[in-house]
Amino acid sequence: MKKYIFHIDANSAYLSWQAVYDLQHGKKVDLREIPSAIGGDKTKRRGIILAKSIQAKKMGVKTGQPLFKALLACPNLKIVPPDYQLYSRCSDAMVTVIQSFSDKVERFSVDECFMELPCEDPFEVAYRLKEKIRGTLGFTVNVGISTNKLLAKMASELEKPDKVHSIFENEIKEKMWPLKVEELFMVGRATWHKLHRYGITTIGALATYDIDLLDRMMKSHGRLIWRYANGIDISAVKTDSRQIKGIGNSTTTPFDVDDLKYASLFILSLTEMVALRLRANHLMCQVIHVSYQRSSEGGMGKQRKMVNSTDSTTAIYQVAMELFEEIWDKSPIRHFGVRVTSLNMADVYQKSIFDEINLEKKRKLNQNIDLLRLKYGSDSIKRASFISSGVNSISGGVYEDYPMMTSLL
Amino acid sequence: MKVIMKSVEMICVSNQDGKISPIKYKYVDKSEQIHIVKIDKILERNEEKLAGNRMYVYKVMSVINEAERVYEMKYELATCKWYIYKM
Repeated sequence: MKKYIFHIDANSAYLSWQAVYDLQHGKKVDLREIPSAIGGDKTKRRGIILAKSIQAKKMGVKTGQPLFKALLACPNLKIVPPDYQLYSRCSDAMVTVIQSFSDKVERFSVDECFMELPCEDPFEVAYRLKEKIRGTLGFTVNVGISTNKLLAKMASELEKPDKVHSIFENEIKEKMWPLKVEELFMVGRATWHKLHRYGITTIGALATYDIDLLDRMMKSHGRLIWRYANGIDISAVKTDSRQIKGIGNSTTTPFDVDDLKYASLFILSLTEMVALRLRANHLMCQVIHVSYQRSSEGGMGKQRKMVNSTDSTTAIYQVAMELFEEIWDKSPIRHFGVRVTSLNMADVYQKSIFDEINLEKKRKLNQNIDLLRLKYGSDSIKRASFISSGVNSISGGVYEDYPMMTSLL
Repeated sequence: MKVIMKSVEMICVSNQDGKISPIKYKYVDKSEQIHIVKIDKILERNEEKLAGNRMYVYKVMSVINEAERVYEMKYELATCKWYIYKM
């Protein structure tokens, strides 16, 4: 029997999960049938649209848009605050159903899975899977079928919602090449701009472009997207994909920040959360990334790889502040982000002569602070710099065990 | 039947196998009057997993306002709450 790869993608995941949950609890309105969206708290002026209904999409609401912009486009938009515990439960339930079909299942993100299954008729399996999820869990999914992960993912994006599609190697030209180049996996805004400059607007144009020129333009990324445009991908379905690739938190500030003192407090409070999560997962990080969004358009980010891995709040904070001071142009800021990547297990540590003094002692201190916060709440112990500053001593919400989004196949 | 989805205080029994059966519940109506309703018969029991949220759905029979009524109740496993679902 031939091996097939399936990509299963929940349709407007957060929104339909919320809708099903509401209906189960006796609400009369189905969020999927009215202009609605999942988003943050509008009174605190924070939050963006995380998911939207098809009706809201027709009115011009976009994912990632700030709430006020979405309300301008669609004044009667119903906004529901997110409930991440529910989403994680839905995601687990979806994976359980998929696992009843095959034991080779990779959880790619909160609402996407890859499944590998040798079978005679992949379409029959895909329809059965789709109907089973709708029947038992109450929401719809798209299923993409192919022979590798990339094509399966592209296939599931073809037409939504509640559909089964395939892109096999002999269908690439006909089904994938006419699509716009930004629809291709791994082509983001920056790559899109570069490609447009060279007149590449469709996936077909990219696939037939000279690979050496792409290599000169974008180095290895150019080769990667050229391979993707030709449907070439050899990555395997990784059953153990719960490993975390990066940990990050970000927050929108309740007021515009224009002095270094407050900026450093916000970065410190985010670092507290990031470092706490890092230590809770017994990980250490080597790369630290800081970003900010101006209150006017635009923002900046920068990252640095350190000589040694760390899990110390202070060490991460120091690097984060160095980076921030290098990139900040003194313009007012409305959003901060701190992220750590290049993670490795914390049980092995390479010592260095540039280490902090009393490193072991400080690690113990951090561990004890974490224990106190776990037992008595995150406000039970805080740094003195936060006292009467109006900034939370620890900030950035969602606790996630697995990546919400990933960019690695 | 109409969807009501009102939470109630319930006395139920759970047997050695973990099977849960409702016995009687307290229902407060619009005029704040308390009614004790006995479950006379469980006609059907099902499990639903909508949105990954497990609930037991019971089709039951009780005498309400001197009339025998068939309606549905739900038990939400995650919160241990009982609801009158449809009547």
